[in-house]
Amino acid sequence: MSSSDPQRAGGPPSRLTTIALIGAGVLALAGGGAFYLASQRAVRPSEPGTIAVRVGDKSCEPMDLTVPAGRSVFEIENASNRPIEWEILDGVMVVEERENIAPGFRSQLAARLKPGVYDITCGLLSNPRGKLTVTASAHSEAEKVKPPLKAFIGPLSEYKVYRALRSNRMIQAVGALSTAIDAGDMDAAKSAYAAARTVYRHVEAVSGRIADLENAIDPVATYLAGREQDPAFTGFHRIEFGLWHEGSVTGLKPVADKLEADATTLRDRLKAVKFEPVDLAGNAAREARRLAEGPVISGDNLYANDELVEFAAAVDGLEKPVSLLVPLLAEASPEMAKATTDAFAAVRAELGKLSGSDAAPVIYSDVSPDARKALAADLVALADAIDRINPALGLE
Amino acid sequence: MRISGLVGASALTFVLTSGAFAQEASLDLVEPIAEYKIYVSEKLAKLVEDTTAFTDAVKAGEVDKAKELFAPTRLSYEAIEPIAELFSDLDASIDSRADDYEKAEADPEFPGFHRIEYGLWEKNSTEGLAPVADKLLSDVKELEGRIASLTFPPEKVVGGAAVLMEEVAATKISGEEDRYSHTDLWDFRGNFDGARKIVDLVRPLIADKEADFLKTVDANFETVDTTLAKYKDGEGYVTYDKLTDDDRKVLAAAVNTLAEDLSTLRGKLGLD
Ligand SMILES: [Cu+2]
Repeated sequence: MSSSDPQRAGGPPSRLTTIALIGAGVLALAGGGAFYLASQRAVRPSEPGTIAVRVGDKSCEPMDLTVPAGRSVFEIENASNRPIEWEILDGVMVVEERENIAPGFRSQLAARLKPGVYDITCGLLSNPRGKLTVTASAHSEAEKVKPPLKAFIGPLSEYKVYRALRSNRMIQAVGALSTAIDAGDMDAAKSAYAAARTVYRHVEAVSGRIADLENAIDPVATYLAGREQDPAFTGFHRIEFGLWHEGSVTGLKPVADKLEADATTLRDRLKAVKFEPVDLAGNAAREARRLAEGPVISGDNLYANDELVEFAAAVDGLEKPVSLLVPLLAEASPEMAKATTDAFAAVRAELGKLSGSDAAPVIYSDVSPDARKALAADLVALADAIDRINPALGLE
Repeated sequence: MRISGLVGASALTFVLTSGAFAQEASLDLVEPIAEYKIYVSEKLAKLVEDTTAFTDAVKAGEVDKAKELFAPTRLSYEAIEPIAELFSDLDASIDSRADDYEKAEADPEFPGFHRIEYGLWEKNSTEGLAPVADKLLSDVKELEGRIASLTFPPEKVVGGAAVLMEEVAATKISGEEDRYSHTDLWDFRGNFDGARKIVDLVRPLIADKEADFLKTVDANFETVDTTLAKYKDGEGYVTYDKLTDDDRKVLAAAVNTLAEDLSTLRGKLGLD
């Protein structure tokens, strides 16, 4: 977006009024403005292949540009009577821009562009925009099926943010759970428990692999020698056992406190996990298979019986890292991108079919072995689809 | 509001040298980009909160209170301006100036903070500002929602520091941004903090190889800090017209150098 450039003399009257209003600005000319104006004159002779764009009062010339993918240098000439900005826009995102090009001046702009159709601005906000078509090159085609490492920085960062925000929310929810248990408020405890489990499921694809913490936070009585009486029966399910099976908060306070401490450790450990590009899909596929083989078949939440709700949260957690790769995948293989999205939809549809209504949710002990197998099969199909992503992106 | 004014020298540097850095971007950037997004999210949460109070005051016709809240509310927005290129449409509706519109201040399309600023300071009134305030609040909320689901392109984050410094050098230094309230020094605070945050986050990646570069950049940021500190007034700053000519020159020089220096940061990190 552009604003006035008060340093410019001889503008229309409204502009002069503006300058008068901001006396401070005029004084600043000696500093920034002079440097700025001087610098605008310092345009180098055009590089070979420089693309000339003339911006007039109402439009660009040409209004339609086509360049090959890769680096292009544009030379923008302001042939209008007011200062202009020139932007290359990808949707609402400014890819590159030059602003405050004074009338009669030229400015150069270098941009590295991917194939696609972009808008170019041509002066006033109200002026029509031009079109910049970037055509594929051998290099851009090669990058589609093997994106450079830097293409994964954004997705990896975003997944890191996701883990950080989720694990912070888990700490809050477990804190609320602990408070409710302390107050003996069963309803509040149950809802805080559910909230904490949802965010736990979101990050379980990663946290589940931090074995020592997983054993403290999420052990299931089935796998403990002394079952519910086993001293190693701690964490979430111990609290679930108290709230739903025993119907009491008795003895849960220390468990909740320990869980709170573990949740904080989990946040720090998740923060320290270093992901490689292959891990985004790799981890999600592994978790989808784990869910299919274990929890979906035998159930995890033996007392609350609310697995269906938690599986839905787990699927959201699987989709996050995968969705971050989908824009790259859509370039490499649109069919595969669609297949992945469809596989997620199929799992959700299956879950929806089993879950009943909000008013009458189905408890997992009522879900038949066959229905569980069907859900597991959908998860395996999802894992298979996710497994195809890395090779498609040249990551394996 | 972002205007990446072409500070020719730095833009030229870019044209001349891009490609000259054989440096490959490394996954070490994941951490700083993630941290930066969290920084932006926190700023936006604060912006939504502050804008709610600010627009409430405007709608209640509380001119004095609204004036008091104007600059502090904008602080969080100005701090995230390095990445305003990621939301050019909302940047226009939140922070554009009268000059962007055919009829300037009289243009019914003139929106956002500066439209309200104009009413409060030039007219000393909130008349007609309620719909502008509502729109501003909804834009700010939309921005928060949009950022939450946006993957930050690393080159936009790293390049954003220079782009913003260029804007300050080319236009903001004249006092054009807050031309009715002259609260520009508050905005500068936000802009410099926001740009410096980016430098600080990528610092570990270049600390060894670019020690001299970092020393120069730090020195210029410190010059800015020392200069701004002279004009501190309570939680904020005195009006821009109080800035002496000498200090304005000092600021301008520091900002110009920062703009030039920071324009090489993308290349140093393999993001050109
Ligand atoms: Cu601004």
